[in-house]
Amino acid sequence: MKKQLLTALTCLMATSLLTGCIAPRKNTTNRVGIPTSSLATDPADPDAAKTAESNTQQPSGKLTFLFPNPGPPKLVTKDGAEYWQSRGEVGQFGGSLKLGSFGGGPKTFNPWEASDVESHGIGMLQFDSLVDFDPWSGKAIPKLAKSFKVSEDGRTIDFVMRKGLKWSDGHPLTADDAVFTYGNLIKNGFGETSSRDTISTPGDYPDVVKVGEDTVSFRFKKPFSPFLANLNAVMVAPKHIFEPITKGSKADFHNFWNINSDPKTFVASGAMIVERYVPGQRLEFKRNPHYSFVDKEGRQLPYLDKMVIGIVPDQNTMIIKFLGEEIDLLDTRSVRGIDAALMKQRESSGNFTMYNLGPDDGTMFLMFNLCQRKDPKTGKFYVDPIKQSWFNDEKFRWAISHAVDRKRIINNVQKGVGYPLSTNETEASLYFNKALKQIEYDPALSAKLLAEAGFVKKGNDLFDAKGNRVEFDLLTNSGNTGRDACCIAIKEELKKLGIKVNYQAIEFNTMTNRVHTSLDWQAIVMGLSGSRFEPYGGANVWKSNGRMHLFDTRLPDKDGTVKAPDARPWEIEIDNLLDTAAGTMDEQKRIEAYNRFQKIAYDKQPFIYIYDIMLLTAARNNLGNYKPTPYGIYYTPKGTLHNIEEIYKKGAKH
Amino acid sequence: MSTPVYILKRILQALPLLFFISLMAFTMLKLSPIDPLAAMRANPSVSQAAINAEEERLGLNKPAPIQYAIWLSSTLQGNLGVSTTGGSVAARLMQHAGNTLLLNVVTLFFTWLIALPAGVYAAVHRGRLIDKLFGFLTAVGMSMPTFLLSFLFLMFALATHWLPIGGMTSSDFAERDTLSQIADIAYHLIIPVCVLTFVSLAGIQRQVRSNLLDVLRADYVRSARAKGLSEETVIYKHALRNAINPLITLLGFEFAGLLSGAALTEMVLAYPGLGRLTLEGVLTKDMNLVMASIMLGAVMLIAGNLFADLLLKFTDPRITVE
Repeated sequence: MKKQLLTALTCLMATSLLTGCIAPRKNTTNRVGIPTSSLATDPADPDAAKTAESNTQQPSGKLTFLFPNPGPPKLVTKDGAEYWQSRGEVGQFGGSLKLGSFGGGPKTFNPWEASDVESHGIGMLQFDSLVDFDPWSGKAIPKLAKSFKVSEDGRTIDFVMRKGLKWSDGHPLTADDAVFTYGNLIKNGFGETSSRDTISTPGDYPDVVKVGEDTVSFRFKKPFSPFLANLNAVMVAPKHIFEPITKGSKADFHNFWNINSDPKTFVASGAMIVERYVPGQRLEFKRNPHYSFVDKEGRQLPYLDKMVIGIVPDQNTMIIKFLGEEIDLLDTRSVRGIDAALMKQRESSGNFTMYNLGPDDGTMFLMFNLCQRKDPKTGKFYVDPIKQSWFNDEKFRWAISHAVDRKRIINNVQKGVGYPLSTNETEASLYFNKALKQIEYDPALSAKLLAEAGFVKKGNDLFDAKGNRVEFDLLTNSGNTGRDACCIAIKEELKKLGIKVNYQAIEFNTMTNRVHTSLDWQAIVMGLSGSRFEPYGGANVWKSNGRMHLFDTRLPDKDGTVKAPDARPWEIEIDNLLDTAAGTMDEQKRIEAYNRFQKIAYDKQPFIYIYDIMLLTAARNNLGNYKPTPYGIYYTPKGTLHNIEEIYKKGAKH
Repeated sequence: MSTPVYILKRILQALPLLFFISLMAFTMLKLSPIDPLAAMRANPSVSQAAINAEEERLGLNKPAPIQYAIWLSSTLQGNLGVSTTGGSVAARLMQHAGNTLLLNVVTLFFTWLIALPAGVYAAVHRGRLIDKLFGFLTAVGMSMPTFLLSFLFLMFALATHWLPIGGMTSSDFAERDTLSQIADIAYHLIIPVCVLTFVSLAGIQRQVRSNLLDVLRADYVRSARAKGLSEETVIYKHALRNAINPLITLLGFEFAGLLSGAALTEMVLAYPGLGRLTLEGVLTKDMNLVMASIMLGAVMLIAGNLFADLLLKFTDPRITVE
């Protein structure tokens, strides 16, 4: 409660005080005022429209690229070692980049153990994988590898390692490290085992073999196409450090490189390496002197000497710290829609620039509990049978979907900074199905659909065919002002249809318990993260036996397996489509399967999507080479710093 | 009864109390419908196996009474367990306890430094303008929520750039020399100390004032004045000494609060104290961490009371420990 109160009040204070007292206000005619560069692919631009039509995999109209694509990175050889060459301008060495992060700080410095976003994001700064995403095309490109090749049958993928790579302690980084990481550490389930599931299907973990001196070969029984898209998040571990640890127990592995460990023992392959951690205050990184990246003059990168991530308790404090010039960059999700206009007013006086990266890959939605089963412990239905019949009626869900005024919600909740959403893949996704039309606000159609489904409106109240008053409980997590306002808007709209919504905001951890474990809920507004590159990332949510099959969660039995004997025909079809798409390397087949999958999700409306946010960042003007792109976004704190090695501070002293 | 025996008796009395506090705290935490692994569960890329492994590691899959027994026995052996947010609870508490202690000691010092003379002055000059001014200021202090005050200070810092915006040290703290490090901490302490002093000042200044006023009306003060003693002697030698007892009890409570963080202030000002740590622990149901923090608070309260009672005995010969 306190946190909720605090958040609400601080928001209020921040907004009123910031506008009131600090800098002179400027009248902006553009309400949102977010810069959209002329380089952006504007839907009105005929050329952009043409390319979008000719290839279904082109970024959709709303994805904005603020910087031109510099082309793929070039490999240069220096003293027998192979380096990637920076694609940005030549900068200057020295300086410290100051960032902020809200929350409790990292949970571990062992990235293979990380289950939270922040620890993983820190791992991505410290470690590279065999591949990475091209920030401009979203395609996998080699990183620690020099090149990679997928075999004709799609079952074998060979990576050729670059020559002369070194860990931050000077130890050589070779194919042996990769074979150890994927063939032992990940394969044998050390650390967070989910990473194993993202690069393979259960029962078909690839054989990882070293071929010749510098080639690592992954051999699958069946093709698994999400492998390449997900491999960048499973980094290569230093064999000389981790091999002794994997000889011990998994508990030892868990405690290795924990938050109390001495950073002097850390060894990294990424641009930056943790130097010091002061709990509750900050995390300090220093440059990795052996990072295998050079600038156009052949000097070894990164430019930055240091990177400092200050730990702040909440978003508001972070924004104030940015305005107070204590931090240099506000990464995505730090600038919310509600802050955008306010920030924009301060752009020139505050000496910073805001960047609009278009839609997020995450979604926000309303869902109903479609569960029709009984709790085996109590013998009672999880959901009242009367409500079950409404929730399971497609027409009912479509009626609600048409009653949600997405545009108004975005205007009110996000101050217009967001995109209405009707599909499970957002427009940020490489596989977004453009054939699906935006669901329009149409209360008359809603009323008609409800009447067709047998609902009767008497006076101001809606009753079902059996004469039951239509009402349900709606939940969301407290402390999230956006979701809270969204629920209130939904409640008001549904009231017009005669539906009574009992809305309540509860603590996030409490809500999670109800959604995942006790199944004691009727309707919820919540959000999920997505993946720009691979819709299969949603398999946990969409497969009928998935752990997060939220709208109809099937709980695991005693031995931990989940069975779905009562899966609906369309749920089974989605299961099959996802498997088809993941089981082929044929891009055309994948697109077809994913298009069909989105069509079913759209037709059946198990999730009534509402909006996705606009990704905004703000950076000080003295930051050189800061070039955020919609595809170059990682977990924070790496965030939009896809080219961290070439970012520099203008006027820095070495 | 001699003092050591008295202390021993008080400690023995406290043990069952601590036991019941721990039992109640544990039960209430367990009853709260919070999922400690919510962040993992809500992440689509985390598998069921990974969640099960984490439950096993933290002992969350065992029945609640057994979890309590495990907690109790390991705590009695001096092991506070591990936090769900990584690292051992003891280490986490230690990291934050020092920061909270520093903040609270400085606040306590300034509070009493201002409150005592201000209270005496207001009592002696009752009804005058300055008394009314203090009355107004303390009323504001008592009614103003700490986070609001913290926020106002932050806005001030942002507008003027005179003070740091939250935190405890600057980002280049580690590279500075000792003297500069001390200065840096002092600089960062200005806002939180001002906020907390302003708020706790109110209660103590009023207490001093009203106690002294009561005493000033007493017969022996009138006799002292009738004897022709100077006003200074009357107030400082006769009146104030008699007015001090309730303040010592208050000091005991203040001592108890030395390690209990001001959660809201710490949250808003990004101060790495115990309050923020505990609040975050409660919201994520970090059992070991919250239990340790609650028990620490309870021990400090009991110790503070004992300390105040002993101090009373020391300052006032009329009081005996019976």
